[in-house]
Amino acid sequence: MRMTLKLIIYGGLIVFAPVLFISVILPWVTISEHPSDIFRSRSILENEGRAVYIENGCTYCHTQFIRSIDWGLGAERVAKSGDYVSEQPHLLGSERTGPDLSQEGGEHPDDWHMAHYINPRYVRPESIMPAFEYLGKEKIRALIAYKQALGFKDADFRIARQRHWKARAVEAYGSGPEKNVEWLHSMVPEPWRHLANPYPTTEAGLRRGHRIYQGFCIGCHGPVGDGMGPAEPYLYPPPLNFTILKDRGVSGGILYYQIMNGITGTAMPYFKRELESEKIWDVGNYVAVAFIGQSDAHGEPRGIDAAYLSPLPGVK
Amino acid sequence: MTALDSVLTSEDYRTVKGFFASSAHWFVLAALAGLFLASAMVAPDFPLYKNVAWLVFSRLRPMHTNMMIFGFVGSALLGSAYYYVPHLTRSPLRSPGMGRAVVWLWNLTVASGTVTLALGYTQSREYAEWVWPVDILLLVVFVLTFCNLLMTVLAREEKLLYVSIWYAFGAMIFTFFIYFFGNAVWNPGTGAITGMPDGILAWFYGHGIVGLFLTPLGVGLAYYVIPIVIRAPLFSHAVSLIGFWTILMFYPHIGTHHLLQTPAPTWLKIIAVTGSIGMLIPVLAVLINLWLTMRGKLGQIHADTGGKFVFAGLVWYLFVCVQGPFQSLPSVQTVTHLTNWVIGHSHIAVFGFAGFIGLGGIYFITPRITGRPLYSNKLADIQYWLVLVGLSGFFLVLTAAGLIQGTGWLYGKTVYVILPELHVYWVWRLGFGVLIVSGAVVGLYNIMRSLYGSGAVGDEQ
Repeated sequence: MRMTLKLIIYGGLIVFAPVLFISVILPWVTISEHPSDIFRSRSILENEGRAVYIENGCTYCHTQFIRSIDWGLGAERVAKSGDYVSEQPHLLGSERTGPDLSQEGGEHPDDWHMAHYINPRYVRPESIMPAFEYLGKEKIRALIAYKQALGFKDADFRIARQRHWKARAVEAYGSGPEKNVEWLHSMVPEPWRHLANPYPTTEAGLRRGHRIYQGFCIGCHGPVGDGMGPAEPYLYPPPLNFTILKDRGVSGGILYYQIMNGITGTAMPYFKRELESEKIWDVGNYVAVAFIGQSDAHGEPRGIDAAYLSPLPGVK
Repeated sequence: MTALDSVLTSEDYRTVKGFFASSAHWFVLAALAGLFLASAMVAPDFPLYKNVAWLVFSRLRPMHTNMMIFGFVGSALLGSAYYYVPHLTRSPLRSPGMGRAVVWLWNLTVASGTVTLALGYTQSREYAEWVWPVDILLLVVFVLTFCNLLMTVLAREEKLLYVSIWYAFGAMIFTFFIYFFGNAVWNPGTGAITGMPDGILAWFYGHGIVGLFLTPLGVGLAYYVIPIVIRAPLFSHAVSLIGFWTILMFYPHIGTHHLLQTPAPTWLKIIAVTGSIGMLIPVLAVLINLWLTMRGKLGQIHADTGGKFVFAGLVWYLFVCVQGPFQSLPSVQTVTHLTNWVIGHSHIAVFGFAGFIGLGGIYFITPRITGRPLYSNKLADIQYWLVLVGLSGFFLVLTAAGLIQGTGWLYGKTVYVILPELHVYWVWRLGFGVLIVSGAVVGLYNIMRSLYGSGAVGDEQ
């Protein structure tokens, strides 16, 4: 084959045309553009927030599609083509340095997001996301509106739940520590309230609890558990001061349930996807021992002791 | 000295020199940007960049990638093409004036693209971030370069067109169209189309710009440098034909392998994976052809500074193009996709393969246009080891980090829980980044002294 300029140029174009047709034009015209079941259009403020998201390159660390293999994220809803009918440009993303955001709307209340944008480490101590305080409050509010709409109608449902419980939580906080604690405990299902932490207080357990506290809790509840962590100025109701729980009927079960399930409406997120059972018991007991000064660890009623337990003072 | 050198004046080489000098500068800036990115992932609240809008990780990242692709590697490869196309056709560059104008336009493109990204103007699709006016500048550069080199080739004395010329023209034509369609230039507002098709178009572009801008120019330059360094003819014309036509056929199809886990159409995913595996044909054709050309003469290659860089680039090409088809498989992506593994892969492609060959081109061609030896072969050698060790380490630690991320997530761990486990790898990456930045700085000094200085180190002897 003798290569001539004509052959290279025209030959190149002849190869390019079918490739463009197959790999771009054909999918472009054949992908059905029907909105999915959750789709809705965005408000003006949400679109402004999307522009902020684009300008500041959020897409380089956050994907916007949940895969069927993402069961660590819950994979409650795997992405569908119809979720993207209004996306221009697409923001699917190619890296997960941070979590997927396609269903982020309503996972947290707005005030949690404000603290998180001012400095992500205020609420997520081990995050490496940059601080976005430079955007200013107005742009951050637009960004939050966009974030809270990710997931469309499903997000709207979650946001309505956040608002409903936020109103109750604010009311309870306003009625003083006594009533607030009473309300918080009444939101925990009855059997959990009477459940003692089944595992004894050990040095290793407290060390584990301490480690978890620093990685997950310290930003809001603070290094001494008084609720005065760096996120506190942004959150309302503010993070709980653990010392007010003393002599007010707290139990290992209540702490476990609140850590596992979060308190929707407040900035307290659920940790059931991030912490396994042992870590939740340990951090709960760390809070009980270090900050409340009262622990029901290994208390009654309890069943058969776990096989790992060594002889401890008071363990039979 | 070839016959052509008597016809060409230093005027004719100012385009080449301009591109080489630009490449060396962009390399330093792009590598520094990379260092800041690496640092931000280790110490996000470091006061130097915390809350500085234009230095925030997520704005700096597209500045880094585009400066590397177009500024550093693109300049080196285009400058080399402006040298070897006239040489291989024994025909002086048709318009040296237009060539020089193109150097300035090209730098204006990269600089304005970088500044607009810093200010937050972006199309947000990877490697297609530059906004519409910058897109137009870039397309103008390609049209002018195409015309200038086309007129040069048309006026040639040498009838046969060597394989490097095919690749240079293939690159110019394909880059123009891929860039035009990929940036949706007919839609200046967003530079995008809507919905899932935009994802497909963006990755058609995103992979295409590496595959059909950097790859043909890099391969063309290797085809040029290797036979001259070892003073032997190319092993096979037929094999180079296979390599050339199959890369054009397979490469533009494979973009959707970035979207295997999204709701893109299944038939398109199958085409993308098939094309990705098919890429072994053009890659192995090139590598086998060059290997059989230089077999037994590796000593000669490594005695030549430019040849050494080109050889290392070809080894990276082998790695990246065996890894590529492998990681396009859905079962492999279950672990590797969305992780640092992919970042390792992209660095050995753009920097390892195309970047090393680009540097090789600069070091090989510079003495031939200045008529003097390099300012310092020693410094070039130091740069070689700095970037080679830097990139190798970078690749290894990110591959390890990617496997930890991927298996962790698959095990059901959340992104936040895995994050602290990656820290130590990112500290290592920062360290290897320091080596790469040092290499870029050493290279800048050496290249500038070689291009515009008065003589080599120890010339007085």
